This record gives sequence, C-alpha cells and structure tokens, in this order.
Amino acid sequence: MSNNCIETYQLTKQYGKKTAVNQLDLTVKKGGIHAFVGSNGAGKSTLFRLLLGVTTATSGGAKVLGQECQNLSTELRGKVGYVNEEHTLPNWMTVEKVRAMQKHFYSAWNDNIYQRVIGYFDVDPKQKVSGLSRGERAGFNLSMALAQSPELLILDEPTLGLDVVAKQSFLEALMFTETENESTIIYCSHQMEEVERVADNLIILEKGRLRNNSAPDDFVERISSWIVDFDSKQVEKNAIAGLLSMKLIDGQHHIIAIDQQVVAFRQHLQLLGASEMHPMGVTLNSAVNAFLSKNHNVPA
Amino acid sequence: MSDIKAVNIHIAPGDTRPIFKQIVDGIRMEIACGNLPVGCKLPSVRGLAMQLTINANTVAKAYNQLTSQGLLEPKQGLGLFVSQPRQQLNLVEQQKRLDNAVQTFVNQVAYLDFEPQQILDKVSSALGKLATSSNNETENHE
Repeated sequence: MSNNCIETYQLTKQYGKKTAVNQLDLTVKKGGIHAFVGSNGAGKSTLFRLLLGVTTATSGGAKVLGQECQNLSTELRGKVGYVNEEHTLPNWMTVEKVRAMQKHFYSAWNDNIYQRVIGYFDVDPKQKVSGLSRGERAGFNLSMALAQSPELLILDEPTLGLDVVAKQSFLEALMFTETENESTIIYCSHQMEEVERVADNLIILEKGRLRNNSAPDDFVERISSWIVDFDSKQVEKNAIAGLLSMKLIDGQHHIIAIDQQVVAFRQHLQLLGASEMHPMGVTLNSAVNAFLSKNHNVPA
Repeated sequence: MSDIKAVNIHIAPGDTRPIFKQIVDGIRMEIACGNLPVGCKLPSVRGLAMQLTINANTVAKAYNQLTSQGLLEPKQGLGLFVSQPRQQLNLVEQQKRLDNAVQTFVNQVAYLDFEPQQILDKVSSALGKLATSSNNETENHE
C-alpha cells in the first residue's frame, strides 16, 4: 500500500482558454492536516473537483487513496468526505432526519463520532435545517462528514463567514475528535492565523501550479524581512536577490526576500549601497502574502 | 483533583515566533518564575493543544525541544515533569548570556529617573528573593 493519500502527475484542467490546474505534480502523505492556500482562482476548488471525480482532467491524472480518481469505485467514494463553504443541506428536513438519512448511506457511519462532534455545537436535533445559523450548519456538516469515518476529508473554506465562536468550535471539533482511522484532512483557507494553528503541512498553489509543500514553520524560515537604508540612492528591484516585495516607507526600504542566507544577503545589500539594515521577524501571514503578491506581477 | 499544573501561556496572533517556539519560551518563563516548580507535572500534549486550540504535533515538538534542553523529563507511563536544573551551558556561554541580559536590562532602565544605586538595590533584592525561594524549593524537595 502506498503511503500517499493523494498523488497527481502532470494533472491539467482547462476551461476553454483558461488553465485552472497546470501540470500539477503533487503528493500528499497519509494522515495529518494539510492546508491548501492560494489566491482566488489558484485552482484549489478545481483540484478538489478533480480529486472527487466530479470533473474530468484535460490531461495527466491523479490517484486518491491509491485509485485513479476518474473512475473511483463506490466503495472508495464512501471513504472520501467533502464539505464546502456553502454547507448545502436539505432545508425542509430536521437535523435528526438528515442524520438518519445519511447514516443509511454510509456503511462506516459512526454515531459516537457524530455525537462527539455535534457536541461542540449547540444544535437542537428537532430544529429544521432552514432554521440553523451558518455556524450550526457548518458544525452539522462537519459532524456528518467525520461520522462517515472518511479516510480523506476535503474541507473547502469551511470557516468562511463563521463568527469567532463558531470558528473556534469548528477548529476544536476538527482537531480533537478522535476518529477510528487516522483521517487525512485537506483544508483550504485564506486565514493564515488559522492555518498556522491547525496545519501540519502547507501547500501553496499559484495559477494552478504547486509552489510549496512543507511544514508552515519551514516555509516561514525561507522568508526574511529587512528594513534597509539606501541613503536615498535608487535601487532597481531586479537587482535584489530573491526579492518578494519592496516598499518605500519614510525613506527606508522595507524588503521581503526568499531563500537568502542572512550573512550573504547583508553583504549583497551593502554592495547595492545600503548603509544600514535591520532584520525583522516574519509571520506566516506576511510570508504568504509577500510570496503570493510577487507572483501576481510575474507573467506566467 | 488533578496533579497537573496549569500552564499559563498564550499564543499571540501576529507574533513572529513560530507557535512551537512561543510554547518553548512560555514554559521556560513559567519555570524561571517558579510557577512551574521542579517535579511538577505538565499538561498532556493533547491537553495543552486543546487549551491553546492548536495542532497537537506543535505541542509535541515544543515538549521535545524542552526535553532535549533538559528542562523537562518524561517518566514512563506518568507524563512529563519539570526536571531538576542541571548545568547545560559552559562558562563562556553563560558569560555571554549574562552580558546580553544585562545589556538588555540596562537599555530598558537607562532612561528612567533612578540613580544607579537605586537600580542596583532593586536588582539585589530581586536576586535575594530568588535565592530564598529556590532554597525553599530544595528543602521541600528533599
């Protein structure tokens, strides 16, 4: 058995002239929480649709839990859970009815897990689905997804639009519910603060391509931030090695760069005419922002 | 009653230290302040992860680092405990750390309206308190 939950090889999806996923070679190991990050239109949702087998690839392919995702068996489909930000549910039914219905669909349904997860949210079983708040819907959906004991659970911006309380409950339920099998969780979010707390692994997509696949801390370590005084000399952006972003604030250049060694980069800046430079700390949020904003300016 | 000592640390959004480092620093501080005395038991990995709403692997990473630094020690089947302090740094390194700490301290107090002697008195009384509390600690321990 392969140790990988997801493997894609040269996976490509085009919509007309637009390439949503571009020759993607991605490996996601089994187990843990993997955060998918990228600007809007980076190809995250398209990738999920490909992995779920609801849309077909233009070229290349992908395996989910060892099976080609273009023709997933019914049995395997039962092992993959999916929750998206819309939290679509039949509005006319009660919470209890929906649960009972779902229970019949999934052979691996585990009611203990359902009860544990729904316990994080204050949901009345007799309530009609149409009367649930956004946070309750999200919690209800997560409860049902985890109760299916999925081997792979895909969450597409699950906390979008949730208030702080609902978001906290959602993250707690996600991280601290013991599931029967070690689920692999794919989690897509724009909130770096959340990603930093939750994720074992950070996967960055940009224009349908893979840009990073490592632990969040390791990614932040690659990024360095500096405040540099060039004594009002002109500095060409292209001249600075590994530059991600540069802003002129109060006559000083605020620089964020990638993959630069501290000592070598200092010398590099001095050669460019810097008189003073101060290394600054970087948060995951600023690192990802700088990383993605640079790529916005680069022609594909 | 639980024998676990509550750990008073917080994860600050926007802090440039990685979360595991914030935990390492936070626990070091708690130990240094005496809030976590020698021999006391720490929360489980999962427990602290739940308290802080973070991934349990991050807590495990922090605990591992503290253990390899000699601040914590695991006892088979019982959990993780604050260990008896032992000499971990050589003299040169200790000297360097002391110099750094003093410089930081001086920078912070330099602009305040105190005479040097007043500051020295404060420091020596604070060190005096530290000495008494650590003596009590050893007595209790033995």
